[in-house]
Amino acid sequence: MDAQTGAPVDAEIFDEVALAHFIETQAEWRPVILAAARALSQQPNQGLLIPRHFHWDWTRKEAELKLLAVKFYGLGCEGKLQGIMKVETVAHSCRLPEQQGKPLVYIDYVESAPWNIKKLMGALGQPQRYRAVGTRLFEAAVLQSQEEGFRGRLGLHSLPGSEGFYINECGMTPVGRDPHKENLLWCEFTPEQAERYLAGE
Amino acid sequence: MNQKRTMTLNLTDQEMSVLDQLSVQKDLSKTALIRQALRLYQLVDARITRGEKLFFEDQDKQKAELMVL
Repeated sequence: MDAQTGAPVDAEIFDEVALAHFIETQAEWRPVILAAARALSQQPNQGLLIPRHFHWDWTRKEAELKLLAVKFYGLGCEGKLQGIMKVETVAHSCRLPEQQGKPLVYIDYVESAPWNIKKLMGALGQPQRYRAVGTRLFEAAVLQSQEEGFRGRLGLHSLPGSEGFYINECGMTPVGRDPHKENLLWCEFTPEQAERYLAGE
Repeated sequence: MNQKRTMTLNLTDQEMSVLDQLSVQKDLSKTALIRQALRLYQLVDARITRGEKLFFEDQDKQKAELMVL
């Protein structure tokens, strides 16, 4: 969705992510993110708004492109990568009592291009380009869970700035802080929550 | 998206029994469970091939290395 007009735009979600996409994030996204982080750090009381993911480097994940247990999704629009996500389909299981131990799709990393993040563009005095990139990628993860036979079960460790999005907008259940993962909040979807999300409820 | 191919899998009664049991326990179809096993095997093999080790830790924090062939 165009962030300025609110009009829907054609975009493509694809799972044939390649090293070239990782390089694109480093070459085109990272300089913008660092410039915005620098600008935010120089503003009073803005330190907490600095994105926690400014140091991510997707090119380090090249070896994982060959693994069946890992899946990458990209979202492209107007010839540019607008968002990217890594999910894992093994080695993670549910923690909610009613589905404890059952497999789920784990969202390991998800990132929108910096020009789609309002606070970053605000710091640079520029308008946000697109909205709902993270939402579309999240939806792809839910569908992947159904495709895997996990019935929509999904889990993730939320960065502090994204907790509201996952709990209030996506409808995930906040299960608790994980001391083994930087005390990040573990959030989870049950099959029923996934169905409601996909139905737009 | 990747297209899927069909194969026939021959299992002993005991193996089929374990597959049935795990399918119920994990709320997965037998196909989904076999695909999970393949993914996990490849993941473990890739990490061991690059020199990492796989350990299990018991409740007393005792670690035991698992040898994967």
